Amino acid sequence: MNYDTIVIGAGIAGMLAAIGRAEAGERVLSLSKGHGTTHWATGCLDLFDIGNADPLAGIESLIVHHPDHPYALAGIDAVESGAERLRAACEAGGYPLVGSLRRNLQMPTAVGTLRTTCLVPVTMAAGDARQLPRQGDGRGPLLIAGFHELRDFFPPMVAANLRTLGFAAEAAYLQMPPHDRTLDFSTVSLARLFDQPAFRADVGRQLRQLVQHGTYSRIGMPAVLGLANATQVVSHIQSAAGALIFEIPTLPVSVPGIRLYCALEAALLRAGGRIQVGSFVQRAEGKGRRLEAIYSEAAAREQRHYAARYVLATGGIAGGGVRADHAGALVETAFGLPLRTPNARTDWFAVRFLSRSGHPVFRTGVAADAGLRPLDAMGHVVYENVAVAGSALAGCDPIREGALEGVAAATGWKAGRL
Amino acid sequence: MQTISTDVLVIGGGATGLGCVRDLAMRGMRAVLVEKGDLTNGTTGRYHGLLHSGGRYVTKDPQSATECAHENAILRRVMPHCLEDTSGFFVITPWDDPSYGDIFATNCRKTEVPVQEISVAEMLRREPALNPQISRVFEVPDGSADSFLAAHTNALSARTYGAQILTYHRVVELIRTGDHVVAAVVEDLRTSERTYVECGFILNAAGAWAGQIAALAGVKVTVVPGKGTMVAMSHRMVNTVINRCKLPADGDIIVPVHTVAVIGTTDIHVPDPDVYGIEPHEVRLMLEEGEKLVPGFSQYRALRAWAGVRPLYKDQDVANDRDISRTYKLLDHQQRDGVDGIISMVGGKWTTYRLMAKDAVDTIAQRLGNTRPCRTADEPMPVPDFEHRGGNHAGAGAEKLYWLGKPLAAVEEEHAYGDLICECELVSRDRVHAAIASGASNLDDIRRDVRMGMGPCQGGWCIYRTTALLYEQRAQAAENASADRPAFDIEHANAAMLHFLQERWKGLTPVLWGDQLRQARLDELIYVHVLGAHRLSAHAEQGGGLVTDER
Repeated sequence: MNYDTIVIGAGIAGMLAAIGRAEAGERVLSLSKGHGTTHWATGCLDLFDIGNADPLAGIESLIVHHPDHPYALAGIDAVESGAERLRAACEAGGYPLVGSLRRNLQMPTAVGTLRTTCLVPVTMAAGDARQLPRQGDGRGPLLIAGFHELRDFFPPMVAANLRTLGFAAEAAYLQMPPHDRTLDFSTVSLARLFDQPAFRADVGRQLRQLVQHGTYSRIGMPAVLGLANATQVVSHIQSAAGALIFEIPTLPVSVPGIRLYCALEAALLRAGGRIQVGSFVQRAEGKGRRLEAIYSEAAAREQRHYAARYVLATGGIAGGGVRADHAGALVETAFGLPLRTPNARTDWFAVRFLSRSGHPVFRTGVAADAGLRPLDAMGHVVYENVAVAGSALAGCDPIREGALEGVAAATGWKAGRL
Repeated sequence: MQTISTDVLVIGGGATGLGCVRDLAMRGMRAVLVEKGDLTNGTTGRYHGLLHSGGRYVTKDPQSATECAHENAILRRVMPHCLEDTSGFFVITPWDDPSYGDIFATNCRKTEVPVQEISVAEMLRREPALNPQISRVFEVPDGSADSFLAAHTNALSARTYGAQILTYHRVVELIRTGDHVVAAVVEDLRTSERTYVECGFILNAAGAWAGQIAALAGVKVTVVPGKGTMVAMSHRMVNTVINRCKLPADGDIIVPVHTVAVIGTTDIHVPDPDVYGIEPHEVRLMLEEGEKLVPGFSQYRALRAWAGVRPLYKDQDVANDRDISRTYKLLDHQQRDGVDGIISMVGGKWTTYRLMAKDAVDTIAQRLGNTRPCRTADEPMPVPDFEHRGGNHAGAGAEKLYWLGKPLAAVEEEHAYGDLICECELVSRDRVHAAIASGASNLDDIRRDVRMGMGPCQGGWCIYRTTALLYEQRAQAAENASADRPAFDIEHANAAMLHFLQERWKGLTPVLWGDQLRQARLDELIYVHVLGAHRLSAHAEQGGGLVTDER
């Protein structure tokens, strides 16, 4: 089958690119090895971590000073419209994102620090740090509640660290309501249990008792409160408990990330796109400055795919779009595009794992022009009919800049609208 | 300053020191052991895990070979839960001198190292990944050892016999009355409190640090710290210890231990046992040498690299550190230097730790008039609480030896699937709790007890989980804090997390490429993007300083 556009990679960047092209009437195939970084990340939209300042204004200034930055390539319009398209997809799935691109939020984490983000699912909204009770402010304290059986969220540690930040926070473990699973509680299996009305009603009753004794005003819980209809689950528990409930992202697998992916998947299918997961694109054939065909491997045979245009959204080193060998060579795994990398292997890492500047190797990516077309070392366009989006782009460290989903949405959406 | 009194003070919490303190206690002497870090914090916790058959020493160091052969048989009897019976091959590759094969076999017989030549076809049947160009194969009873578990096993037994073991205690002074060492001043590194230890005798078992201890008594002991670098690969591409059949050299051995295969080692003289790094060329050398034994070796996923310092004792001029004898040496400072009340046990290797302890304790016992015999060759050892309980083999005789499937079999018996804190190494919540209860005070201590954080994900999930468990358990205990158990708050827990993340990073950076580089980025995503751990407040001296702008 011939496609107008094939998008490689099914993270936020790839899905938004595919949605954009499909909504423009193209025949679109989304081809990916597996799921994207959505399933590991927080399920929020981090735009740009400049503390409490206006993130969009921060990006405008960044664009001026760093014309190679992916945000500069996307342009400020795509930064806004990409985030809005993501928001619309979630809204359509009954799972709205809240917040403003003009104001960052500080949200509690699963160790009890605050992280900077911009848009959060409505299920997390009540965790906005500005609204949380502080020690001595006379409001009922915050309760952090979880389950012993879940190994990816520990209320006492969260509450203790929140207290060091001046919040009034206490911790409780809840009884696991009756259920038919006996072996393992992952974030996903617990989220499925929360989709069952009887299960969440039991949790609501336990919380109500705690609220009555402890006068808690808000309750933070692991982000496992439902997979299919989280908004409804949270609202049910909230009315049963008699206090505001908010979710806190856990260790991966990320339930809010899966919800985000599902919203994007639904939007793409609605627009007529086709999705093929489990296909690892390993090579491509070009002719002059045009990419002619790509080859994916699955089930022990190669498959050849053609399209007029291609979007490369395979992620950086974390996503598997960039790979290093032990001799220190870095390669782009799908098309073999030239990469912009730090000099030598000895320059790849900072001495400290948590060094604020991050590790140079993770800034490795494909350099691109304002049309997101890949460039070689001389600055010449490699393929006219390829656009690169998301963490596969060079010139930023999306995790350290607090821009993981923002860069993906901006460049993905731009690739979808070119 | 508090004063305690004992018959013998043992300095050093590695295999040798722990073997000594147990032997002393079993013979009814009062004994105290001090260690400046956690048990096995030095060389014992940083070796490749080989239970020597003696094969590696049959030509250059025959006495060592015979000692290894005898001790190998004894340890299998008394501490089977710490040992895996992997067997061992000595193989002649196209890069080795083929005439050494006959010399090797002859020398094995002379040194009482059991040896049997097997066919290359048989070798390939048992280890299909080995290089088919190997021309001859000799089988010896090599094994692999869990040196962490063995240390705790000795400590547990020693405590049962009344010995006292003080970790995180550093010797700051040795007190001499004339030519007699009579006491030591030790400092608790966690509280800075000092204790005066009056003792009838001091046993210096500080390994690579023995020269520093001897100097405190005014005695010169030259220990050459020989750095050995090792790389752990994520697959057991062999289940047998594989040695090159040649004189020992760099990168000539692969040891399958627990879930990994370790290739070792280099041997590089370093001036200071506390200051050394891992050079990229050392890692490259390991991978190149590995290719000669197992074609494709360098394509396996490397998990981490680390180095230990061999405590080689130098009593004459030897040009090459590899030429220094690997046997141990008991230095009686009364005879050697005219200083009484102290002996030093230097050199040696893990496999002979029990014999070294016996010799040292024999000397002290004679000096103190104790005539009770050594029983460490016969008395079976206890199993620490944090070890797997289930998962024992049904087969007769071998039921107590460790085997690869044991952790999974134990998890299945205990139905602990849903309770795994470290999935890579199958560490259940109960075992982490037991390790904390037995005194582990940071994540590195817990790692040495139960192996959490040592698998492919290098702590991505379990560092967070274990920190939380440490906090929950210790915060409860801190409600009745005492001198023995200092207060523990959330900032201690945060410091433990930050410190361990940095320790793992140190081991990872030399081997970060391929999947392991991707894993490191995922771990960064977890700790920076999801958890915001870089914003944790921690007691600065214990980890707060780890989040810096420094490059």
